[in-house]
Amino acid sequence: MENIKLIINFLGQLLPAINITLIVSVSSIILGSLLGLLLAAARLSESVVLRVLASVYVSVVRATPAIIMIFVVYYGMPMLFNDWFHTNIDGWNRMYFVIIALTVLFSAPVSEIMRSAYESIAKGQMEAGLMVGMTPFQTLYRIILPQAFVVALPNFANSVINLLKEGALTFTIGVVDMVAKAQMIVANNSGGYAWQTYCALALIYWVISLAIDKGVSQVEKSYQAKRKTIAV
Amino acid sequence: MLTIEGLKKSYAGNDILKGISIDVNKGDVISIIGPSGSGKTTLLRTMTTLEEADGGHITFSGIDKDFEKLTGKEVNTIRRNVGFVFQNYNLFNNKTALQNITEGLIVARKVKKSEAEKIALKALERVGLTDRKNHYPSQLSGGQQQRVGIARAIALNPEVIFFDEPTSALDPELVGEVLKVMQDLASSGTTMVVVTHQMSFARDVSNRVIFMADGHIVEQGAPKAIFEKPSEQRTKKFLTDILANV
Ligand SMILES: Nc1ncnc2c1ncn2[C@@H]1O[C@H](COP(=O)(O)OP(=O)(O)OP(=O)(O)O)[C@@H](O)[C@H]1O
Ligand SMILES: [Mg+2]
Repeated sequence: MENIKLIINFLGQLLPAINITLIVSVSSIILGSLLGLLLAAARLSESVVLRVLASVYVSVVRATPAIIMIFVVYYGMPMLFNDWFHTNIDGWNRMYFVIIALTVLFSAPVSEIMRSAYESIAKGQMEAGLMVGMTPFQTLYRIILPQAFVVALPNFANSVINLLKEGALTFTIGVVDMVAKAQMIVANNSGGYAWQTYCALALIYWVISLAIDKGVSQVEKSYQAKRKTIAV
Repeated sequence: MLTIEGLKKSYAGNDILKGISIDVNKGDVISIIGPSGSGKTTLLRTMTTLEEADGGHITFSGIDKDFEKLTGKEVNTIRRNVGFVFQNYNLFNNKTALQNITEGLIVARKVKKSEAEKIALKALERVGLTDRKNHYPSQLSGGQQQRVGIARAIALNPEVIFFDEPTSALDPELVGEVLKVMQDLASSGTTMVVVTHQMSFARDVSNRVIFMADGHIVEQGAPKAIFEKPSEQRTKKFLTDILANV
């Protein structure tokens, strides 16, 4: 009972820091999806160079642990900017580095998800679209993407949850997200109540991923329902 | 109406079409038969620009040009004036039967929605599927899907409709309903080019049969002539083999 009270108390202390976690995650999801879309397009393109570049990128990024990616970006990017553009970005908000690292990390699985979703639908229906006089873009937009979206959704949600978890490493470069906050709380209590604090943290992550799952199945259901109601 | 001369196509150095010439006249129902791998599908796909040809000339819809020199606009003209019925239907799975048909009318032809629906309903009626208009492809049998595929093609009123083995993905008991629709189209004067393994269709419905092997047209002529006294040994052998298997 005592423990539950403590956990609830810690929840209250941790929750204000959820902002940072959400900003980091949402930005990385949006930017990573856009980058993933470009990568998927590159992998499906006619150009051999683009295809090879994109697939090397994906295979390297997929093999890189999140913490290494964060460090590489955090320590590497300022040097690159210094050498190439003679710009000093040391003073950037550290959150930006995390967002960049997570964007890169997220783009790889997402590009694969998009590519395979596209390929599961594309060829025949694309040709059918062309043969009724639609342009490739019209067919892509009206026929292929709506279906690819539904196919990709569950895998996409998985990747989002992964990203959320990888984002828990944000604290390693000194951004005060929920994890960093939890560490501070434990430190303030001289190491006491550590497991209750982290339990509260885990609880928050669990609720967020539940919400994501729920959202996805809601969207899927609405697609199925639409089909049922029309066909009577 | 549609003339193809010296059509060539190769994949990775393999010559698949070795100079094919075909003349399609208005009202023709042409059956293309031949062994598997002889290039029948490739022929239809290159003729309709789904696949780029490596050589050859096309005369169609005011175009009189070598395939390689076709502009994007001319490719569109060709696509707009042909219909294509695919072996595995390729219906738009996120659209109902009716929407599958209106899609091209509304999006590509800029026909008003109400008008498009009228045309689509008429097309569905011709294939006997009025009562399935609001069904999605996943809710239709293979035969019904293929009939929607045919309705989608005829609704656009193309000059010629190409069929690539329209019944070979179907369970045997569903083949008949699709052949019946095709027969109706043929007798109403629709110009059709049909790749088929259904010898009954080739013999009884078409007015010309083309026998292809190894990327060549081996022989062509009236069905009676091809089926009863083929002049080429290869044709004879193919027909004996395939008819023995029926
Ligand atoms: N996209 C492609 N890439 C490489 N080779 C291909 C391609 N499409 C077809 N081929 C080859 O071209 C040859 C002719 O194929 P095609 O599909 O035109 O034959 P078909 O006469 O339609 O055969 P079937 O009766 O089995 O449908 C085959 O050897 C096939 O392997
Ligand atoms: Mg074929």
